[in-house]
Amino acid sequence: MVRNDKQSRNRRDVLKLTGVSGVALLAGCVSTTDDEDTTDGGNGGGSDGGDDGGSDGGTDDGSDGDDGGSDGGDTSPYKIGMVDSVSGSLSAFGQRNQRGKDLAIADVNAEGIGGRDLEITVEDSQSEAQAGVSAAQKLVNQDEVPFLIGAVGSSVSLAIYQSVIQGTDVVQLSQNSTSPDLTNFPGLLRMSPTGSVQAGALADLISNDGYDDVAITYINNDYGKGITDSFTEAYDGNVAYEQSHDQGQSSYSNVVSGMANADADAWLFITYQPEFSTMAQEAYSSGYEAQFYGADSAKGPKILENTPEGSLDGMKVVAPSAAIDQDNYKQFASRFEDEHGSEPTAWSAYAYDCVVNAALAIHTANEFTGAALQETVRDVTRPEGEKVSTYAEALEVLGDDGSASDIDYEGVSGPIDFDENGDPVGFLQVFTVQNHEYVSTGTIASE
Amino acid sequence: MSVLEFIANGLVFSSIIVLASIGLSLVYSIADFANFAHGDTMTVGAYAALVTFGAVGTLGGTVLGLPYGFFVALLAGVAVAAVVAVATHKLIYEPVEIGSIGLLITSIGVAFVYRSVIRMGFGADFTEYGIQVLRPIEALLPFGIRMTLHDVAILGSAIVLVSALHFLLQYTDLGRKMRATADNPDLARVSGIRTNRIEIWTWIIGAGLAGAGGAFLGLFNQLSPRMGFDILLVVFAAVILGGIGSVYGAMLGGLLIGMINQTMPLFENFGQYAPLVPEGWGIPIGLEYANAVAFVIMVLVLLARPNGILGDSAT
Repeated sequence: MVRNDKQSRNRRDVLKLTGVSGVALLAGCVSTTDDEDTTDGGNGGGSDGGDDGGSDGGTDDGSDGDDGGSDGGDTSPYKIGMVDSVSGSLSAFGQRNQRGKDLAIADVNAEGIGGRDLEITVEDSQSEAQAGVSAAQKLVNQDEVPFLIGAVGSSVSLAIYQSVIQGTDVVQLSQNSTSPDLTNFPGLLRMSPTGSVQAGALADLISNDGYDDVAITYINNDYGKGITDSFTEAYDGNVAYEQSHDQGQSSYSNVVSGMANADADAWLFITYQPEFSTMAQEAYSSGYEAQFYGADSAKGPKILENTPEGSLDGMKVVAPSAAIDQDNYKQFASRFEDEHGSEPTAWSAYAYDCVVNAALAIHTANEFTGAALQETVRDVTRPEGEKVSTYAEALEVLGDDGSASDIDYEGVSGPIDFDENGDPVGFLQVFTVQNHEYVSTGTIASE
Repeated sequence: MSVLEFIANGLVFSSIIVLASIGLSLVYSIADFANFAHGDTMTVGAYAALVTFGAVGTLGGTVLGLPYGFFVALLAGVAVAAVVAVATHKLIYEPVEIGSIGLLITSIGVAFVYRSVIRMGFGADFTEYGIQVLRPIEALLPFGIRMTLHDVAILGSAIVLVSALHFLLQYTDLGRKMRATADNPDLARVSGIRTNRIEIWTWIIGAGLAGAGGAFLGLFNQLSPRMGFDILLVVFAAVILGGIGSVYGAMLGGLLIGMINQTMPLFENFGQYAPLVPEGWGIPIGLEYANAVAFVIMVLVLLARPNGILGDSAT
């Protein structure tokens, strides 16, 4: 009955109203993603539950450390935060991060930090800046964490830094961001090497393969733009096509036809996994043949799973690599394999090192505040100290009253050694797709 | 490289948008509110098809490069989307006695519920049906058209569904009642039409078409919990461009918006394709603005025809 009254209203009025409310809503939609984030936060909380279980186990071990009589008094865990891509375009990375983080927490809590445990609250960024910022806001303002690990996407990390971290003492350490832009923000640390190295390596690779023309498509954000700019700067040949595309579109056939239109034999994709899968499929089903190149974000088992056999053969990807020859990495890798049945990627290694680095910074800081952690977070990995490759080893060297500069943590992902811009030293690996598998075909050392 | 290729791509993409637009417009005309859960209804259809396809398998033969099993899955997607929409209508939209704005906001909440449930069941990652991706049809290559049999299947199915709806609206008793209800619900009720039932049928047809659109979108692109939400804005643009409430307007709007979206690369070298325009002349605009351009065109059309292209005519 009520509905009838509504319908008797003038049609045009209703149309107007809906139009206006539609606009208001579109604006509303933007912020509603925040609401959604809270539900995701719930999921994140779920995975925290698992961590808690782990840290409980850790407390038992840690009580041995208590006999050594370190701090005494307060035994509640140290709480830090992590913003991760639990969902969204970068969820594959986020998942790997969580695995690396869980292993690191187990390692840290087996020894304890002065008798106390480390606890990490994880919030979902949905791989997007807006949700990432509200996740970081929750962690920094509500949970008051002095140390924030986050985020995966470069645009998300930057957005968090600029709107939440900058001007505070809180330490932000991004686990996976590779955009060259982050170098301009010395206060924003990251564990993965800058993409400008990667872009340079790609430029060399494409030139050495004998291609003078290249078509580039990149994801329309800080990451894509940053890598593309560094690439075009480093590349000697002619860039025949350079266009960005938005994340999460329903179709990318216009991108693929555009690239084909450009008449370049080398195609470079600087985009995320779902987007690249769609483009690779589109290229295959349109019958286009080209030599594909990709940045690290366009590589992953999900892509192989979702693209037809043979559609990617010969594709070359330059990706940051963990320190695959080091003993501590091998140990990490075998434990990872035992637990998850697959080899870890560099991305898990970065997350692992983020957590260990945070634990070492907390251990060597004189108090658990952002200002104190700022003092120690870089020093624990700088080359001035004694080289240590695991958390337990670091504790041994530190003894009862070691300071941050006494140790040089060489992580499972590489030497780290943060420079003045907060960028680490890392390795790059070239992968080639052969028989629909990624095969490592060389490594490049980064500086 | 030919214009035909872009137009062919546009037709296929338009098919999906048209399927989604019709449902949105139909529900608007009879239930009288803009349903923001429509995009996520598509997602529901797509995932229902995914589950069914996994269960029934390929079932032997193939039509147009698609196993029989896919068509069963498509029907399941349509059915599940319709059932979910009718259930939502009965449980939520009907009992909440608020105006069309209130219903609109409610539908956003419903959309989040759909999406979260899907994410809980299937994870946030993207996935595929696992149907072999085809190469373009050889016979069309000389014309520069690069369509696969799957594209033809999507286009063909959309045409069949749209024609069926046209037939239903124009020539059946139900269609006449639907048009009457959309036109003037009070008069329809006085004349003995059970408008409640008509409303349920509207939901079944609208959501069913959305489910089909979602299943095809999964085939065309890939499945992810955000797939429907991501395409919803474009669908709204199509519906409003065509004239909200008008089914034929939605078809036309969907076709136009899909075309504009896919032919964006032509803008840059406009002069090479259009007659009467100098060769080197073009509109330098990036692909990332495809949706923005669609909306600009929508606004321009609305300035000339405030009710949309076919807004004044009845359903």
